[in-house]
Amino acid sequence: MLKVDHVSVKRGASVALKDVSFSLAAGKTLAVVGESGAGKSTLISAILGLLKPAQGSITWAGAPVRLCRPALVMQEPRSAFNPTLPLRHSVFEAVKARKLHVGDARLDRLCKGLELERDLLDRRPAAVSIGQAQRVGILRALIAAPSLVLFDEPLSALDAVTQKHTAKLIAQLQKEEGFAALIVTHDLGYAVAHADEIAVLKSGQIEEVSTPQDFAVAPKSAYCRVLRDAAIALGALEPAE
Amino acid sequence: MTLSAHGLSVVRAGQAILYPTSVCVSPRDRIGLVGASGSGKSTLGHALVDDLRMQGHVVAYVPQSPDEALDPLWSMAFHWREAEKALGLRPGAADRKTLFSALKIEGGDLRKRPWAWSRGMQQRFVIAMALMGRPNLVVLDEPTSALDPVVAAATMQLLDHCLRESDTAMILITHDLGLAARHVSQLMVMDGGRIVEQASTEDVLEHPKAPASKALSAHRNWLALPC
Amino acid sequence: MISSVFDLVLRALIVLAGTALATFALLWHAPGDPALSIALARFDTLVTDEVIEMVREEAGLNIGFWPAFRAWIGPLLWFDFGNSSVTGREVLPDLLVAVSYTFPLAFAGLAFGVAVALLLAFVATKRPGGWMDRVAVGVASLGAAIPAYWLGLLLILLFAVHLAWLPAMGARTPAHAILPALTLGLGVAASLTRIIRSSILEARAQPFLPAIRRRGVPSSAIGRDHVAPHAAVPVITLVGLEMAFLLEGAVMVEIIFGRPGLGTFLVTAIEARDFPQVQAVVVLTALLFVTINLVIDVIYRVIDPRIGGQDA
Repeated sequence: MLKVDHVSVKRGASVALKDVSFSLAAGKTLAVVGESGAGKSTLISAILGLLKPAQGSITWAGAPVRLCRPALVMQEPRSAFNPTLPLRHSVFEAVKARKLHVGDARLDRLCKGLELERDLLDRRPAAVSIGQAQRVGILRALIAAPSLVLFDEPLSALDAVTQKHTAKLIAQLQKEEGFAALIVTHDLGYAVAHADEIAVLKSGQIEEVSTPQDFAVAPKSAYCRVLRDAAIALGALEPAE
Repeated sequence: MTLSAHGLSVVRAGQAILYPTSVCVSPRDRIGLVGASGSGKSTLGHALVDDLRMQGHVVAYVPQSPDEALDPLWSMAFHWREAEKALGLRPGAADRKTLFSALKIEGGDLRKRPWAWSRGMQQRFVIAMALMGRPNLVVLDEPTSALDPVVAAATMQLLDHCLRESDTAMILITHDLGLAARHVSQLMVMDGGRIVEQASTEDVLEHPKAPASKALSAHRNWLALPC
Repeated sequence: MISSVFDLVLRALIVLAGTALATFALLWHAPGDPALSIALARFDTLVTDEVIEMVREEAGLNIGFWPAFRAWIGPLLWFDFGNSSVTGREVLPDLLVAVSYTFPLAFAGLAFGVAVALLLAFVATKRPGGWMDRVAVGVASLGAAIPAYWLGLLLILLFAVHLAWLPAMGARTPAHAILPALTLGLGVAASLTRIIRSSILEARAQPFLPAIRRRGVPSSAIGRDHVAPHAAVPVITLVGLEMAFLLEGAVMVEIIFGRPGLGTFLVTAIEARDFPQVQAVVVLTALLFVTINLVIDVIYRVIDPRIGGQDA
């Protein structure tokens, strides 16, 4: 499991993350929510080892995170791919570099799970829809069977209907593949609907970690109530009569 | 006065992205123009604004993100003055104080350029510019999707508040039926470059007829909360 | 703003000091015996070993690198470039004469080139992809493909020989500068046209323009306030560089039209291994480049304060 233990990260002179601790068990989903500038992207960079924490440690099953081959799904589906090459190239680039073998059966299963035609991989990023591009991004992340997948705003470039559909596919695949998912999002509706736990990040600090149920119905801190009410005002969550 | 535009259509590279469409808007209307991405809703919004402006109506337009409304090389004061000039107003003729306080634009230095302001403030400034000429209609294209939820919710609330007392009609373009449901009373649902359903918001939410409306209605939010 | 300009000036001074040291070191360590070259240039066939030693002493070539560098750089700070090793005359007056021929020609050429390039680019961008665009781009490509010596000869043939409107050789009157300025200017125009054209097209594709248009701002104001400043940034860089190259002196054009100038001054000095003269030209060139770059950087910051991490 992923263990983030009293982690502080500095960016220049300012502190981007301050004493952040949480854990994420294999096969579970943690949503990290917060406003822009709260430190969500810094957290992802730190877990991937791109930023070194000034204090604290980040481990997967007691070992460095990179040993569990974490994968990342990015926000902008089209710009996450090399525009001049077929999608297939980007999907298999990392697998080839690590000399891993991916069986045809696995590729077929993942494509089916993501509702992607295999021929689609021969097209370039500009020739597929944004929703398709994002599903190819998820395919690329899952191809090498990672234990941990980080999602950085995976749905925010998609329209409302595509968002819900893509979220459903991610959840189904997670059940089959058993990876742990850390989802960074500012969409509270998504977090409440799909996560096992929600961590609220505010100015680099964890404000609250709670279950979606608690969060939606009875948020503990005033800030979490503001977030919840904003989600309701934007129609992402619907208060039942 | 009712605004109407007829036979709006757009063809790009030999392909129709907007089939001939007519739109009528009465004062105080709150209309949602909804549909999936690529359904032609933004195209219709642009065509409608351009057509009504050609007819001589005062129509304002607010794009999705402030990056699409403000030139990073010029100060906020310059943008404000430019918008005044475009409306034929004398300098300072628009009631900036009232608009700014209604939209809670506080503490931003007008001499600074847009990127020195927060995005939420930039977007509210753009909305203030849109409202300064007391337009007959304001068309907002996904006005909050580039903003944080907290800021987005506050912006929509302030916008509602600003429009409550005025005769200005509003068209809200969005892919999010959940958002539209809270801010408009009528819906136009678009699919494949056509308006496929036009009815009151309640009707579309409860008894959607077109397939596109059914999909939007079924996916309008993530969860209904027991609270 | 003030502090960032100060930073820029400081950086420029460091570049100048580095250039001075590097040129001096390069010339000092160049292969061959400089004393022999100078002796040959001065005394031709009368050169003996004693003469060479005498020259070595006179030119200060026998005292080691650092003392020689100090002896050179000290007076240089007061714009004293020393005396020519070959003629013994002071360098500065001769350099100023060369400059007085080169600079007016360079500015005339640049002004003509920029004017032509702006005209062609505006015509081309009236309707991108239209026939006028293709003609303008074609003319620019053709201009870039024609070497200066050939263009110069063509202009001489046409205006001096056939039409006999303008003098071809020498530099006695301002009229003598017209043909060389045309030659330089057309070369400049060729390279600038395409950059200006693509800058304008890029500036017109900026995301905020449709909304500003829908706000009712007339297209003339949009062009002036929202397209031109954005298009200007890359163009200013290139105009600055072209200016620096022209001010350095265009050897080819000077030779074709039989004009004195910095280019010929430098070539003659290098052939004779006349250290003080060569160094004077190099220092002048470095000073020009650094000054022009400094001016460009300041202009950037005025147009777009985001460059250089400024506040709005």
